[in-house]
Amino acid sequence: MEEPRIGVYICWCGTNIAKMVDVEAVAAEVGNLPNVVLAKTYKYMCSDPGQDLIIKDIHGHHLNRVIVAACSPRLHELTFRNAVEKAGINPYLFEMANIREQDSWVHTDRSEATKKAIDLVNAAIHRVRFHEPLQKRSVNVDPATLIIGGGISGMVAALEIANAGKQVYLVEKADRLGGHVARFDLTFPHLSSAKQMIRPIIQRVENHPNIEVFKQSVIKNVSGYIGNFKALVQNGQPEPLELTFGNIIAATGLKPFDPSKIEEYGYGKFPDVVTSMEFEEMLASGKVLTRYGKEPRNIAIIHCVGSRSKVYHEYCSRTCCMVALKFVNQIRAGLPDCNIFEIYADMRAYGKGCEEFYAETTHRQIIFLMFDQHEKLPVIRQADRTDDCNMLIEMDEKLSGESIEVPVDMVVLMVNMEAHDDVKDVVHEIGVSLCGNQFFIEKHPKLDPVATTTGGVYIVGTCQGPKDIPDSVAQARASAARILATIAQGSVAVEVTTAFVNEDFCCGCQTCIRVCPYTAISYNEDKKASEVNEVLCKGCGTCGSACPSGAITSKHFTDHQILSEIEGIMSMSYKEI
Amino acid sequence: MNFRPTIVAFLCNWCAYTGADLAGTSRMRYAPNIRIIRVMCSGRIEPTFILTAFQQGADGVLVCGCHPGDCHYQTGNYKCLRRFKLIEKYIAQMGIEPERLKLEWISASEGKQFAELVNEMTKAILNAGPSKIKSTLEVKHLKS
Amino acid sequence: MPSDSPNQKPKLKLAIYWGAACGGCCVSVLDTHEKLLDIVAAADLVFWPIAMDIKYKDVEALPDKSIDVTLFNGAVRNSENKHIAQVLRNKSKILVAYGACAYMGGIPGLANFHTRDEIFKRVYEETESTVNPEKIKPQTEYAVKEGNLHIPEMFNDVYTLNQVVEVDYFIPGCPPQSERLLEVFTAIASGAQLPPKGSVVGANEKTNCDECKRKKSDNKVIKKFYRPWEIEDDKETCFLEQGVICMGPATRGGCGVRCIAGNSPCRGCYGPPAAASDPGAKMMSAIGTMIDADSSEEIDKIIDTIVDPAGLFYRFSLPSSILGRKII
Repeated sequence: MEEPRIGVYICWCGTNIAKMVDVEAVAAEVGNLPNVVLAKTYKYMCSDPGQDLIIKDIHGHHLNRVIVAACSPRLHELTFRNAVEKAGINPYLFEMANIREQDSWVHTDRSEATKKAIDLVNAAIHRVRFHEPLQKRSVNVDPATLIIGGGISGMVAALEIANAGKQVYLVEKADRLGGHVARFDLTFPHLSSAKQMIRPIIQRVENHPNIEVFKQSVIKNVSGYIGNFKALVQNGQPEPLELTFGNIIAATGLKPFDPSKIEEYGYGKFPDVVTSMEFEEMLASGKVLTRYGKEPRNIAIIHCVGSRSKVYHEYCSRTCCMVALKFVNQIRAGLPDCNIFEIYADMRAYGKGCEEFYAETTHRQIIFLMFDQHEKLPVIRQADRTDDCNMLIEMDEKLSGESIEVPVDMVVLMVNMEAHDDVKDVVHEIGVSLCGNQFFIEKHPKLDPVATTTGGVYIVGTCQGPKDIPDSVAQARASAARILATIAQGSVAVEVTTAFVNEDFCCGCQTCIRVCPYTAISYNEDKKASEVNEVLCKGCGTCGSACPSGAITSKHFTDHQILSEIEGIMSMSYKEI
Repeated sequence: MNFRPTIVAFLCNWCAYTGADLAGTSRMRYAPNIRIIRVMCSGRIEPTFILTAFQQGADGVLVCGCHPGDCHYQTGNYKCLRRFKLIEKYIAQMGIEPERLKLEWISASEGKQFAELVNEMTKAILNAGPSKIKSTLEVKHLKS
Repeated sequence: MPSDSPNQKPKLKLAIYWGAACGGCCVSVLDTHEKLLDIVAAADLVFWPIAMDIKYKDVEALPDKSIDVTLFNGAVRNSENKHIAQVLRNKSKILVAYGACAYMGGIPGLANFHTRDEIFKRVYEETESTVNPEKIKPQTEYAVKEGNLHIPEMFNDVYTLNQVVEVDYFIPGCPPQSERLLEVFTAIASGAQLPPKGSVVGANEKTNCDECKRKKSDNKVIKKFYRPWEIEDDKETCFLEQGVICMGPATRGGCGVRCIAGNSPCRGCYGPPAAASDPGAKMMSAIGTMIDADSSEEIDKIIDTIVDPAGLFYRFSLPSSILGRKII
């Protein structure tokens, strides 16, 4: 390996760093260290003149390693890597020391902050000596897309991609497309017909030349990596079908919560206690009748069933308040004399047109009764024979402070949106994670809600978290746009700081094989050694630290690099400055 | 001589290191004795690193990663936890006080918690005193 | 014995010395059986305390670099070991740390879990059959009417050979397998180009799993660790997959996996792999990874079944490990 010639640049960042860290002292201290050719300071390293300074010095002083001590690498590592690359040095022969977010901005003693900066720069100098050049890599992208789930999200995404001329495989578990929306009657807040909205979509999907629909089918044995996936479709045929595709959208939707767990509500015991989905179907059929076949004279709707509860699910299911108000409007229209009780914990009406919808609904002679679900849930019990109704709801009404009994013939439970029971199978197949509530985890909660940390795999709709139709459709179109952009580029860059097995040292113990969540490591029977599929590898380094013989190198985070970084931090520790 | 401890910390890029950056962006204040080393995943952290930090004279070692279930690479932090507990048992046998080695999960949004963690740990290390490794090692090397 | 003639290659001068040792490494030389005759045909033994009555002063009187090869086995435990190590370094062209004790500290290295004072207290005061009411401990100097007697000073720590002097090569093993000794000796005697100074010789590049005959799979997930006697070993499956800790994956090969062939898990006497310097730390990481639990409580329960991690992972290598000894 060539002798390292290191250039060290300490950034003032205006006064952000220089106010608390004596940058000149740092440069002076590290300038004399072995392999350091020069150490200078500059006001704004990330600016064009700052970057030009590096490029000029690389040429003028024949530097082959560069260190910038400045802000967090999470901000500007890429900026400086590009600058270094422009000067003809491999971008991975560069290292940053974080002396702003993790030094000048958090400490108040100038001498301590300066000493810390020296230690951190020293650590970077020690580390960068062991950096190796790494080559960027990209792979081709298969223009077909697999979409798992034929509900509204899956179908909208499918049409978006298919209309752009690209092949889509749409796999649906049930015997028909449309998901839950196809079972709805009307939608909030405009009370428009769900069926009229979704039927044309289903038709376009089923007739689209670029969409191949598989009903009553599941996906198995997904393998590969972004741009190059493979999977089997099991659809009851003796031979499963193999598909190849470049990207995956998971649109597997929701499952309504089963309220039979909640004793207070008597679901399953009382036939006229129904879930919101069951009530939706009653509305769609045009007949709202009790089990006696009569029109109910008193209907109660209870909110937050299974939601916002430390026992069942802590999260809010987002749409139930508005769906309840939708029901209220529909009941009022169909049963003008019915007493309607809205038994709610809060009223969440934040979507477009929703607050207005709520305000209008309050004028429809509805009785709003508030309960505190952290205190006591309403309890449904059989009415006495002398009562003029089927059931009674006993509850503590919060706003009045009174304990009351509500007479009801039918109760609608606004059940929460849960993840499907079989999501674990899906995530295992496609390589994404589940959060504590079993919803798929997005790449970034704010900045990247449809991508996942697995390249080429997107999540849309309620499988990512409870949401309404507009948000589901937005996500569906977003993921389609991302995929079309990738297909248009034709190739995609893959992770470079991957793991690598040195076959001279691998003893074939296979400790590493099950460690990888991306199945990027496999055992090669012929070589009697493990090998890493560098395109699947995400560079976490877990296999590198699992290997008992040190045969696995985690590129750019090798043992040598990290151990020398530790040495660099500690080596000046005993000195007083 | 007043004791200025050095704590070496290993932070995972996606959660803990980002949380530490957030502490900076929010101008939280914490003790200046900590030195952070970035790894991509807490699953990369292995006993060799922790032991080397102690051997080089660190008075304390801190390991931070994503909360269980939230690992950016799905399961790396569980591997970290398993190894960590084994190292804890080992260093107890080797006479290193338990308060010198700590594992804490820090998410990307937990800047405040990170600052508090650093302050707590620095206090604990100040109480524990300088690492006895330095004095033990001074006995060790005989090469003339 | 062929007589010296002008065309005869001069015999190598060979020394074998023992520090804090059990004698097994010296026996391994004898275990070359009839090939021992080839060794003595090619080399003159100038110093071998277990077998020959040559005095220290004779060795000290040798010219520097006049010994071609010294095999130093045993750890450095006292001032005598250190002194002779330094003498032999000066007198030898090639100094080899022979066996686990010289290479890594070996079994004597386990004393680094204690201090000298603790050891002396136990041995000279507390042992059940000791009668020493004045609590007399070994003195390095003692006056008798004939003059002052000196005995070596026992150090507080056990050292490896290369923590005391520059070492040219390391031959691992407890003891090194005799075939490997022969390989190394033949290479030196033949005048072949030797590997770079500081290399480990007489051993493989890969760790033991490479030569182990047991069946391995990726089923390296463990819910409970067992001591070897606690399981019904099926004699076919990898020990780790049966829950028994075997140091094989982190131990350099070259011993012929004799222990495992005898249905005993590897204990790591051949030392660290080529690609890592602290074998215990790498194995700890691997074992940690294999623990099949994700919650703190479950992990603790499983770790409870690893009774003595320090002794297990550093049985032969404590002085050469990253921490080197228990912190006092």
